[in-house]
Amino acid sequence: MRIGVDTGGTFTDVVLVDEESGRIVTTKTPSTPDNPADGFMAGVHKALEAHAGSHALDAVSALVHGTTVATNQLLEDRQDGTSHLGFITTEGFEFVLEIARQSVPDGYGNSYFWVKPPRIVPVHRVRTVGGRLDHLGREVRPFDEEQAVAAARWFRERGITAIGVCFLHSYANPGHERRMREVLEREHPEAVVSLSSDVLREYREYERSVTTLVDAAVKPTMRRYIENLSERLGRPFSVMKSNGGVLSAAEVVHQPITTVLSGPAAGALGAALIASTAGRPSVITLDGGGTSTDVAVVVDGEPSLTTEGSIGRYPCKIPMIDIVTVGAGGGSIAWISPEGTLKVGPRSAGADPGPICYGKGGAEVTVTDAHVFLGRVPPHLLGGEIALDVAAARAGVEELAGRLGLTPERCATGILEISAFNQSNAIRRITVQRGLDVRDFPLVAFGGSGPLLACRLIDILGLRAAIVPPDPGNVSAFGLLTVDVKNDYVRTYVARDPSPAVVGEILGELEAQAAAALDREGFAEHVYARSADLRYYGQAYEVRVPAPDGPVDEAWLAAVAERFHAEHERLYGYGYRDDPRHAVEWVNLRVSGIGPITRPKIARRPRQEDEPSPVATRDVFFERWARTVIYRRADLGAGAVVRGPAVIEEYGSTLPVHPGFTATMDDYGNLVVVSDDR
Amino acid sequence: MTGRTADPVLVEIVEGTLASVEKEVETAIARTARSPMIRDAHDFRAGIHDVRMRKLTGRSYSALVQPVVRDFPIETMRPGDVFFHNDVYLSEGGIGHLPDLCVTVPVFHGGEVVAFVQAFGHHDDIGGAVPGSMPSHARSAYEEGLMVPPIKLWDQGVPNRAALTIMTRNSRMPDSLAGDLDAECSACLMGARRLGELFDRYGREAVEACFDAIIDKTTETFRRELLSKIPEGVYVWEDYAEHDGVDEPRLHAQRITLTVDHSADPPLTIDFTGTSPQAKGPINHAGDYADGVFLKKWLAPILRNLADTPERMAELDVNEGVVPLTKMVFPEKGTLLTPIFPAPTNARTFVILRLLGVLAGVLAKATGGRMPADQETIRYTGVYGESDDGPYLMREVLGGGSGGRWYADGEDTIHVVPDSRNIPVEFAEARWPLRVERLGLAVDSGGPGEFRGGLGYDKHIRMLRDASFMSIADRSILSCWGVNGGRAGRPFQVTVDGVEMEGLVDDYPVRAGQVIRIRTTGGGGWGSPYDRPAEKVAADVRDGKVTFEGAREDYGVVLTGTRDDVVIDVEATERLRERLRETRPAAFFDRGPGFPKLSGGLTYAEVDTV
Repeated sequence: MRIGVDTGGTFTDVVLVDEESGRIVTTKTPSTPDNPADGFMAGVHKALEAHAGSHALDAVSALVHGTTVATNQLLEDRQDGTSHLGFITTEGFEFVLEIARQSVPDGYGNSYFWVKPPRIVPVHRVRTVGGRLDHLGREVRPFDEEQAVAAARWFRERGITAIGVCFLHSYANPGHERRMREVLEREHPEAVVSLSSDVLREYREYERSVTTLVDAAVKPTMRRYIENLSERLGRPFSVMKSNGGVLSAAEVVHQPITTVLSGPAAGALGAALIASTAGRPSVITLDGGGTSTDVAVVVDGEPSLTTEGSIGRYPCKIPMIDIVTVGAGGGSIAWISPEGTLKVGPRSAGADPGPICYGKGGAEVTVTDAHVFLGRVPPHLLGGEIALDVAAARAGVEELAGRLGLTPERCATGILEISAFNQSNAIRRITVQRGLDVRDFPLVAFGGSGPLLACRLIDILGLRAAIVPPDPGNVSAFGLLTVDVKNDYVRTYVARDPSPAVVGEILGELEAQAAAALDREGFAEHVYARSADLRYYGQAYEVRVPAPDGPVDEAWLAAVAERFHAEHERLYGYGYRDDPRHAVEWVNLRVSGIGPITRPKIARRPRQEDEPSPVATRDVFFERWARTVIYRRADLGAGAVVRGPAVIEEYGSTLPVHPGFTATMDDYGNLVVVSDDR
Repeated sequence: MTGRTADPVLVEIVEGTLASVEKEVETAIARTARSPMIRDAHDFRAGIHDVRMRKLTGRSYSALVQPVVRDFPIETMRPGDVFFHNDVYLSEGGIGHLPDLCVTVPVFHGGEVVAFVQAFGHHDDIGGAVPGSMPSHARSAYEEGLMVPPIKLWDQGVPNRAALTIMTRNSRMPDSLAGDLDAECSACLMGARRLGELFDRYGREAVEACFDAIIDKTTETFRRELLSKIPEGVYVWEDYAEHDGVDEPRLHAQRITLTVDHSADPPLTIDFTGTSPQAKGPINHAGDYADGVFLKKWLAPILRNLADTPERMAELDVNEGVVPLTKMVFPEKGTLLTPIFPAPTNARTFVILRLLGVLAGVLAKATGGRMPADQETIRYTGVYGESDDGPYLMREVLGGGSGGRWYADGEDTIHVVPDSRNIPVEFAEARWPLRVERLGLAVDSGGPGEFRGGLGYDKHIRMLRDASFMSIADRSILSCWGVNGGRAGRPFQVTVDGVEMEGLVDDYPVRAGQVIRIRTTGGGGWGSPYDRPAEKVAADVRDGKVTFEGAREDYGVVLTGTRDDVVIDVEATERLRERLRETRPAAFFDRGPGFPKLSGGLTYAEVDTV
């Protein structure tokens, strides 16, 4: 029996899979932000109760947890988020965070009015230490032990207990940083320390510094949380990482930064497995929530990764599943700009006060209100547990429409159209900008609000199909049960004429590190995935390509270079394969150590024998108001066909099937929506 | 306004698509270009224009389509054509210096041109007298590099090999030039395809109605929210470039007479009469073409500072909609803004950046100081020589401090060009024979004020091999001005092994082991420094942004203790500030101690009072 627990801002979702019977139990409990462990335990007990009628954890073979405990501390800009944090860097570079990359975001001329947001560590909590390396890791000036001791004591005296260390060129030689850690252990033993050479062994000092400081910032919180949870569970468990792998809780406390975006990553992975099972290994995943929508791309069953992500406003260059988030969700607010045009989001009514139709004091029209007004979602939530105030939603839409000089129906469909466009621009950003043609990818739409606009997205983007999995609200928790143990290791090696011996040696070292970690996790079977970052000499950005296994020789190097040419051509439309004027430069070597697990089997859905019969009819507006049939998803079997206009409802989610679209249930219970024109 | 009415929902969709196409084009260029000026300094822009050559996107300035259409009538254009130009005097004012290479791609729908996607970027080298094509002592455009008037670089999908070969042959860095051009062309072609899809989806008439609405909206918003903040009247101000690379330093004036009449059409008149004669050296800007349409769009972002909050300022787009609000009056031919070919222009940033500040200053006079103090955030510094890999050029654009604002201090080490980045030390040291010994902030460089100016850089570069130092910088004598009682920031200063450099240097020898120290400009201060809370001054001292002496002399704040434990002497501070307040500043603007050196001893200019 395996259990996945996804702690979100509002709800804690739990999915239990019984490996023997194939039975899947899903449940939800309210999250408990003051002590997230309470919601975690309540959810686990509720799932076990539903499955076996007892709270015993003995039969549970694995417990995987996705959490944003660490992230929220930074995202919410809380006072306690970074006030415990200090930074030690190379002498002469105390302003590295203030200077950053000198860039002002967005528009030309913004430098006149832009107000730089506070740094993750203010300069008065930065100390410097003498000692200097060059880019090959050779010592230019020795490490200044005396200054190191002074810095450690300075932080101890001020009670600053989380410390990030980043020295110049430590990616090439971690020696000075390790000596700094020894000094801190001796002089300031209470401090938790993050070294940049442990967190991210990659060049570019500003980004490495910030990444290291994010790790240090979340370490104390994560340690407390994991210890507390371990105690209450009385058994080991794993934590989901942003890179799409899991890691035992005992290991995670040493590198908490790897978990910061684990929730959205789990959603993409869950959707990837569901789609692969249904015979579609390459898809776009769209996780629609209350305040935002997360979009990712899955190619051949693997979500694509990036090292250019960020946590809030802090760049974090650790590998994470490449997710684009837009402020377009069910709670996104419709408003009129001073210029008189209709806008939707990014501001959200959230869960409190929520949309107007929740009747909890919300006064601004949201995307959900537009759906409710148009009859596309039922006048209640969660299968009838919460009634919605349709009249209030209508009044809100009418008032907004009046100010725009539109009919209420045009106003409401306009809100949804703009919301769909915001989502489709996010989808474009993650496909077109990465050289992928969006029309080659079916869309997997899940999350509470994900399926609502599926038909519009098919239309706008010219998609072949949209797939709505069963229990769309629980895909993220399910995703937790589908992931392998995975650790990433990187080393910068800049060379235009790389030596096979050196490359082989570095990869060997990285693989040894990976092996040691997998051994600690008790894996007998190890898989190593190599990759390399290359660029044309003179470019500032690299392109990552997978690298083959086996010994490194000239042929191996040539094979990787060939993959780079091909990938550059695919991404940007040109390359320099046979042009000796444009040298290929190697930049980073990477190894991921993978400990594979057995993935849950997705049960087949019984065939639908008869025509599906609707449970009700309701007035719904698509192109005009019309009495429209409503189906209950639980009534549908494999092969069932629902032609639009229709609405398919289930606990926690709704799929409006527009005129001109057809939804068919596949063998695994997914609803596959296609346009009749294609 | 036009007869076509646009659907408000479609307007939002079209606007979102234009912004995302522009961003995609810029991302593609940034990720694949070679020149550090494009790659890191982000000195490149994409722009989308409609078939009437009106700029539609709002995030940045861009070049103009006018010169391409002038030489290649629209009806002769074919799918797959790519146009190219960099010729300043044949660019209708859209290109300021030859290294800015501009690519233009027409967008087709139903066999007709419906729009243009354009990009220009600052490339490493396009020939001319010195590496980098920015000879600071040039006296003629012929010394500045290869001039290419509008040409067809691709003809219906077929690249013109002859043109490419000629261009790369004339560059000292042919590979990076070829790479940059490939990056620009591919990105613009991709953008043109995306835009074509928009027309296919909604039809030409509906999309063009949205273009009209987007442009009209900007006109109305600027009129309603920004222009309404300026009282009617006539306001005059001027500022100066201090040297042109040829003559001895002197005041090269740029003057604006702003006439505001809300009932007139257009409501703003910007008259440049009084601007100094054209310089012998390369600081001229060819601005008097196409009714000054480039400068109208270049200057309009300054108006955004009149909005109610910084958040609102950031929301306001600048597109062709700003053009109908302004009339420009140029002086006769032969001034800094109306140079006669072949007057050199490669350092025209001295003039067009200064014009932003002149407009800010004239608006400060008009609005009782409700504008930011001065910033100077572009200058080029670098070294070149031989490394193990052959000849190299390391040239970067270091930002500076921005001016204090009525709501906040200026910011440290920022750059006016969006997303312009400095070069990571770990990248620089791996690539070039140098070591960066310090990358910090220049203490006391921010102009004192109730809201302090931001600080400039303090960068120490130790050369590991013999090399040559170059710099192209203004504001090495004059300072970024303070306003409304705020004081000037510190000017740009470079020393090589202790020897002070001028602002314009083509080739100063640096020996291995010597240290080049670069301090960039601090922003001007806003409001009286004696009104700055002593606690903020103490925090600046703790943070290393102001010295103990600076606190006392510039702010009248008496501090004791150490930087780790700064103590405010409250009584001594009150006494000192009382005394200092008696010496009121004589003018509304403070130009710093360099001004009298060039003004014949005057401490402020005639136009500096209100």
